[in-house]
Amino acid sequence: MRLQSKSDDDTRNIGRLIGNRLKPGDTVCLFGDLGAGKTTITKGIASALGIEERDITSASFTIIAEYDSPIPFYHIDLYRVSGDDISELGLHEYLGGDGICVIEWAERAGSEIPDAQISVRLEHKGDNCREIEIEGLEL
Amino acid sequence: MLILGIETSCDDTSAAVVEDGKIIKSNIVSSQDEIHTQYGGIVPELASRKHIEMIWPVVDKALSTANASLSDLSAIAFSYGPGLIGSLLVGVCFSKSLSLVHSLPLVAVNHLEGHIFSAFLESSPSFPFLALIVSGGHTSMYIIRDFNKYEEIGRTRDDAAGEAYDKVAKLLGFGYPGGPIIDNLAISGDPEAISFPRALIRDSLDFSFSGLKTSVLTYTRKNPDAKKEDIAASFQAAVVDVLVQRSLEACKAKGIDRIVLSGGVSANSLLRKSVADAAEGAALEVYLPSKRLCTDNAAMIAAAGYHHFRRGNISNFSLNPKAYVHLGSAHG
Repeated sequence: MRLQSKSDDDTRNIGRLIGNRLKPGDTVCLFGDLGAGKTTITKGIASALGIEERDITSASFTIIAEYDSPIPFYHIDLYRVSGDDISELGLHEYLGGDGICVIEWAERAGSEIPDAQISVRLEHKGDNCREIEIEGLEL
Repeated sequence: MLILGIETSCDDTSAAVVEDGKIIKSNIVSSQDEIHTQYGGIVPELASRKHIEMIWPVVDKALSTANASLSDLSAIAFSYGPGLIGSLLVGVCFSKSLSLVHSLPLVAVNHLEGHIFSAFLESSPSFPFLALIVSGGHTSMYIIRDFNKYEEIGRTRDDAAGEAYDKVAKLLGFGYPGGPIIDNLAISGDPEAISFPRALIRDSLDFSFSGLKTSVLTYTRKNPDAKKEDIAASFQAAVVDVLVQRSLEACKAKGIDRIVLSGGVSANSLLRKSVADAAEGAALEVYLPSKRLCTDNAAMIAAAGYHHFRRGNISNFSLNPKAYVHLGSAHG
């Protein structure tokens, strides 16, 4: 499914639609360059799970941010991570468990992420426009 | 009263001996920048392994430089969060072990509180004051009304200011950490060459640096031949403008007339100068810790720990490190 976003609000709303469809054990892989809107859409997904949007900030610094929401929420950002280090992050402890994982820069995780996950590709099309392509989930 | 401070929240292993929360007897910082530079950022697993290697030598050196032995100490103060969980764990476990073996009281210190107390190592700001903490992991403002009376009034909604520096340095093709690199490049660039956006969120004192980062990326793609010095200078001007403007707004809104700057990014030369100039213009007092106390260090943890210890805030062994913890949260 391909959607157009014309603002940060649109991107957050699309995130909310995704969040409403998620269940424990789901993993959402986000793909897109710097500034594509990955953290913004994560805010929307998290808000559907009862987390305040303001509490979701970039996780590039800490790599894995855990939230004590009714369904545990893990915001993972692999921006800084490369190659061999991935296997040492212990991603398997989060994926497919009792919580929901959103992974930014998911392409860097390689084989650490099992197939058949939900994937969301974001592309910045200039100004505030973004193209968002969702696979593995019906909205 | 001598307090041993221990700080391992991110990529620097540090230990310090501080007397009466004020006199720095030693402040040893072992930086891991060299290791992380090749990865363009901190790699948590590498950071915690390095902390394990360095913690004993760093503590030994802090004690020998201070001419003190463990039996001279009144307490051990350690930062328990926020930070990288694996890194924090090393300092927390080390402090607990040392405390158990040598029967020394333990004092848990919030890392952000440590940053605020770095100002008390060189001066004595009166309460209340505005604390602006700007680093790679944090960009927040607090009103500090007294010891242990902290009110958060603004924070970043996306990237921390230091993180924006790191990301912009990386997209310009430079290494890590981005702060000093951009600061140096900016010296020979024109801060008005490019007009990058200043994100000021309405009806809030929060920050946002994500749009600025995107706008630098878009600009560099459209103008591949633009002078990197100009991009650095214009980017830095946008960050500093927002930090200064928000601090002044906060002081005005809350009726505060003192600002304490802290955190790694407050070592940035333009930010220091701009805050000092703006404060002078607005008749505000400003406290700028020296650069070595702006970046992560254990002396600030010992200084904050001293004030807790005097008030009887002792921690027990059940305390665990916390990657995310707001300043002012209760701890064990």
